[in-house]
Amino acid sequence: MAARLDRETEAILQGTLDMLVLRALQLEPMHGWGITERIEQWSEEVLCVGQGTLYPALYRLERQGLISSAWDTTENNRRARYYKLTAAGRRHVTRELASWRRLSRAIDLVLRATEA
Amino acid sequence: MASKDRRLAEEIAFHIEQQTAKNIRAGMAPAEARRAARVTFGGVQQVREATRDEMRGVWLRDFGRDLRIAFRGLARVPSFSITAILTIGLGIGAAAAMFTVVDGVLLRPLPYPDAGRIVQLFQIGEKGTRGANVSDPNFLDWQAQTGSFAAMAETAVYPQTVTGAGEPQSLRVAVVSQGFFDVLATRPTMGRGFRPDELQRSGAKVAIVGAGFWERWRGARPLAGDAIVIGGVQHAVVGVMPDGFDYPQQAVIWTPREQGRDSPSRTAHNFRVVARVKPGVDIEQASAELSRVSRVLKARYGTGTWMADAVALPLLDVISAGVRPALRLLFAASLLLLLVACTNVSNLLVARAVSRRREFAVQLALGASTGRVTRQWLAETLAVAACGAAIGLALATVAVRAFVALGPRSAPRLDQVSIDWTSIAFAGVIALVAAVVLSLLTAWGTRGAGIADALTDNSRTGSSSRRQMRGREALIVAQVALTMVLLAGAGLLARSFAHAMAVDPGFRLSDDFVLDTSIELPGDGAGPRRAAMQDLLLARVRALPGVTAAGLINAFPLGRGQFANGTFIEMSRVDEITKMEDFRIDAPQFASRTGDAEYRVASDGYFEAMDIPLLSGRLFDATDAPDRPHVAIISRSLAEKQWAGRDPLGRFIQFGNMDGDLTGLRVVGVVGDVRESSVEALPGPMIYVNARQRPTATSSFSVIAHGPAAGALGGPVRRIMRDVAPDSPYELTTVSAGLDRSVGTRRFNLSLIGAFAAAALGLAMLGVYGLVAYAVSQRSREMGIRVALGAEPASLVRMVLTHAARLTLVGSAVGLGLTLLASNAISGMLYGVTAVDPAVLMSVAATMLAAAMAASYLPARRILKQPPGLALRS
Repeated sequence: MAARLDRETEAILQGTLDMLVLRALQLEPMHGWGITERIEQWSEEVLCVGQGTLYPALYRLERQGLISSAWDTTENNRRARYYKLTAAGRRHVTRELASWRRLSRAIDLVLRATEA
Repeated sequence: MASKDRRLAEEIAFHIEQQTAKNIRAGMAPAEARRAARVTFGGVQQVREATRDEMRGVWLRDFGRDLRIAFRGLARVPSFSITAILTIGLGIGAAAAMFTVVDGVLLRPLPYPDAGRIVQLFQIGEKGTRGANVSDPNFLDWQAQTGSFAAMAETAVYPQTVTGAGEPQSLRVAVVSQGFFDVLATRPTMGRGFRPDELQRSGAKVAIVGAGFWERWRGARPLAGDAIVIGGVQHAVVGVMPDGFDYPQQAVIWTPREQGRDSPSRTAHNFRVVARVKPGVDIEQASAELSRVSRVLKARYGTGTWMADAVALPLLDVISAGVRPALRLLFAASLLLLLVACTNVSNLLVARAVSRRREFAVQLALGASTGRVTRQWLAETLAVAACGAAIGLALATVAVRAFVALGPRSAPRLDQVSIDWTSIAFAGVIALVAAVVLSLLTAWGTRGAGIADALTDNSRTGSSSRRQMRGREALIVAQVALTMVLLAGAGLLARSFAHAMAVDPGFRLSDDFVLDTSIELPGDGAGPRRAAMQDLLLARVRALPGVTAAGLINAFPLGRGQFANGTFIEMSRVDEITKMEDFRIDAPQFASRTGDAEYRVASDGYFEAMDIPLLSGRLFDATDAPDRPHVAIISRSLAEKQWAGRDPLGRFIQFGNMDGDLTGLRVVGVVGDVRESSVEALPGPMIYVNARQRPTATSSFSVIAHGPAAGALGGPVRRIMRDVAPDSPYELTTVSAGLDRSVGTRRFNLSLIGAFAAAALGLAMLGVYGLVAYAVSQRSREMGIRVALGAEPASLVRMVLTHAARLTLVGSAVGLGLTLLASNAISGMLYGVTAVDPAVLMSVAATMLAAAMAASYLPARRILKQPPGLALRS
């Protein structure tokens, strides 16, 4: 793993952002800001979602048909764009999570073996 | 896209707002909180751009960017871009123009409903000759005995004088039988078709007219009891056909066949037959049935019918048959020119690719994928091709207009041809294909130019540059070969044209005055009355100052008159045959005494005015009055064919089947042969009869006057026509106008192929020039060293020229091979030369070599001018 930044956050690995976004949306529809907050919160403030990559990712996923979006109002009565998983997105995230878990477990095993 | 942009802007604003709120909660001052939020978010603009790219999709985004870069890149090298774009534009323009013509004339369905089912029916003779004209009894049997056709009709077209609708004019009047409008599935747009009571001999005289005729005559007025006079007979106009309808043979007026004379002879071939094949029956089946029926008819009537078989052919193919070979050849030539243009552009692109090798190499080294670099390259080629297509379409628009104006009159529907969406689509596809092919060719031409090579390349070494040089040489060879094919085609056509122009037609080609006119008189005794008018006309013309000879003929050689021919019988005495029933060419007593000949009606003075030489006997003169023995003059070829070695003078001929007059003819003279239908066609045997004695078939005729130039006679002749035949339409022309018409199509094809060949030659010269210039610049250091070591600069120039000559010779050899392979395509259009004429092919090869040498000499000369030290120091 790369060295920690001063702020103790990690840039998200290329290619994993899509999965994190999908994972965040698995629970409920959310707006962009909400997704950022959710990921940071889940990762105990370690992962930081760069806005320069979040919105392109959202539009990309939408174009790929994995998520869809619609305007809605927040609890503070503020208009915001909410994203939610489509059926295809739901299937996709399940598949991807399973494969990610296998992969990260494998990497973890390797790392532990070399530490020992 | 704009709505998505707005949506994104709002999302970003919301995001920053939330971040600000969070910062305030964390204890920041509001202004500071907002600033920090913006910092956290990063560049709003960058986010926008990155997101916008995602909206479009990656590939398209990149390609759009590549295209932008490509256009910017092209603008930076205008000399390259302009040359490449104009070159490819020329190629695409020529191909698109020819495609448009081919599409409009040969491919597009005829403008009738379900036109694919319309066929023309042909009789086939025993020797396999196809006859478009069918006899009435055979037509009636076809109609009664076949089941494959939904409708079948006879047609014939005669030029006739039409009065009562403005100035007297000679118009093409069609005679059509019942069912004609069903065959074409087209009805009058105004008025009605023919009624059953009009479809018989005694029916009221009626006519349907074309939209163009009606508009010129009556404008937008509706039909209301209008009448016209056709050949002196009043006809009620009952209908107006839709705009553009002119079948058969550009007819302007249609009248019922049933009102015309009966044509009971099974060997009098007077009508063309068209039919509509029933739905569910295909044309081959219909044709097979027709053939079966016709063979049964032959078995029944034997020598009583010429027809041994029959065939049904799609009408479109029949109509365009005459121009198809030439149009195909021209289209092929335009494609060749396109290929030459493509090789040229490819050569330019290779040169550009080589000069940009380092740029690409740097991109690759910095991590761009090869695909990415290739795509950028493709984008640039595509940009060139797209600009070329635009230029090409502009060129094609002009070219098609010129083609329509100057092209052969025989090409059906040519007047309706113009650039349309099909042409644009064609140009687009060609451009796309060209771009892909060019990219591949360029990749092949620059192959071996690897990254490492490029990065370390300096012009001192350069095995890779030698390899890409070989690629360019191959392109030049291909270009020279293709150009050779075009040059050879042009050379052969030019030679044919020269041969055709050098033909002696048998009469004096001059600017002598010719008047084409017709005098149509209704009722009995029309012939003698007309003959009297013609006598008066000739007398007045002969009296004009300067006229030394004048005469008339019913079908002017190389002109547009009605040609007639048939079988005559040589009689043992002047009155051996006096009744039509006795005129039986299949009767045993005449079997050895029949002959075939063209039939013309001429006056005294005709041969003198035309300078057709008298070989023996005498010409027509003033003594040949109607009540004197009827005389005939024959052509030399008939004398040789019919009376080889014997004297034809004084022999009797029965040729009354031509005009119904069975008075025997006595041969009084033999004259020289004349080319009648075209300068290329050999003169056929000919019988001339006297216009005063046989005036039946002279309603349309030409008067020729030898002496003053045609221009001087215009005014006086107009006055004479006003006095003698005020109701007759006429046209003033010259003797050689017929020759121009006769060789017009040949001249047109030659100039077009010639233009293609010249363009290809120019491009090939440009290509050779580019290659030699490049080679010289590449080898400037080597040359410098050689000169420094004492080599004669002139010998180096020779070396460069030899190299170019070798490439040209290889290309020419390949081109000659291709020409021989393609010789079948052109042989039908040649006259007096064969497609493998060695003189033409050699001179074409010499031209190619000379052009290549000229193109090489300019860059090669630079070696002489270059101070030797310069190349070494640079």
